[in-house]
Amino acid sequence: MNIDHHESFQRMIDESLVGAISAEKEQSLREHLSTCTPCKEYLSASKRVIAGLSGFSFEVNPTLNARILAALRPQAEQVHEVLAHHPDAMRQHNMRFKIWAAFAVALSMSIVGSALVYQVAKLLATPMYFDNAQLQVGVLVFWLLPSFCSALWMFAAPGEKRGVA
Amino acid sequence: MESDTQRIALGLRQRDVVVLKTLIEQYQFRLVRYLVSLLGRRDGVDDFVQETWLRVLERGASYDGHSRFEPWLFRVARNIAFDAMRKRPMFSLDSNEGDGIRSSSASGEPSPYMLAARTQDAERLAHSLQTLEPVYREALVLRFQEDLSLQEISVIVGAPVSTVASRIYRGLATLRPQFEGETA
Ligand SMILES: [Zn+2]
Repeated sequence: MNIDHHESFQRMIDESLVGAISAEKEQSLREHLSTCTPCKEYLSASKRVIAGLSGFSFEVNPTLNARILAALRPQAEQVHEVLAHHPDAMRQHNMRFKIWAAFAVALSMSIVGSALVYQVAKLLATPMYFDNAQLQVGVLVFWLLPSFCSALWMFAAPGEKRGVA
Repeated sequence: MESDTQRIALGLRQRDVVVLKTLIEQYQFRLVRYLVSLLGRRDGVDDFVQETWLRVLERGASYDGHSRFEPWLFRVARNIAFDAMRKRPMFSLDSNEGDGIRSSSASGEPSPYMLAARTQDAERLAHSLQTLEPVYREALVLRFQEDLSLQEISVIVGAPVSTVASRIYRGLATLRPQFEGETA
C-alpha cells in the first residue's frame, strides 16, 4: 500500500475523532483498520493524546468563588434596586405589549364582524330596496370605519381607559 | 416543562444571585481550564474569571436559553481575554493564523501544564502543549475536554467549522509524535 493511501485513511481517523465523518467513510475506515498496522498505530497514538489531555487538573483557588460572589452581589442588588424604585420602565414595556395585543384582537374582530354584518345586511337589503353600492357604503360608514377607529383608540387613550392594566 | 438552559436564561435575566452562585460552582473549573488553554498561563486567570462572571451578570439577558450555556460562557470569557490583550499587549497572545493569540511560554513562568499534569501521559504532553499555538490548544481543549461540537466551537472562536476542524487536526498532529511507535 502506498503512503498516500494511508494518509487518506489517517485523515479519516482525524475526522472520526472530531465527529466529522460520514457513516460510509467510517465503514471503509473500519475495514482498513482491521488490516493496516500503521493506521492502527496512528489511531492509538491519537487516542493517547486525547486521553492525555484529560490528565491535567487545574486547581481552583478555594477563595475565588467567594471573592467573585462578593463582587457580584452589590451589582445584582443595584439592578434589583433600580427595578424596585423605577418599575415604570418595566410597566411601560408590559403595557406596550398589551396594547399591541389588544389592537390586533380589536382589528381582527372588526374585520370578521364587518364580513358578518355585510352578509346580514345583504339579506335585509332586498326587501328594503337598497342596491349593492348603497349596502357597501352603509357597512363601511356605519360599521367598518367606527370599529376600525375604536381599535386605533387603543393607542390614543391612557392605559386605564383602554382596560389594559 | 422548563429546561435547565431556560431556567439559567431566566435567572440571568432576573440577575438572580442564587442562579449565578450555582453557575459559578458548576462551571468554575471548566472556565479556569479553558482560560489556561487560551492564555497558556495560570497567573492572572482568576482575574479573567472574575471579569467573566461580572460580564455574565451584566449581559446575561443576551443568553436566550435555546442552546447550551457553556459555549456562551466561553465566548464571553474569550472576548474578555481578547479585550485585555488589546489593552495590555504584554499579556498578549499570538498566532500564525492571525487572530491575535500568542503563547506566554517565553515569559519564564513555570508551565501551568507541567504543574497540572496528573498522569504520565499528561506529563509527556505538558511541554508540547505549552509550546503549541494557542488556537490549536484552544480547539483541542474545547473539543476533547469540554466535549463541544465543531459547530459550538466555531461559534466561540468566530471561525468556520472547517477552520476549527483543521486546527484540531494540526493540534493532534503536533502532539501525536509523543506516542508514536509505542503500543498503548
Ligand atoms: Zn493504513
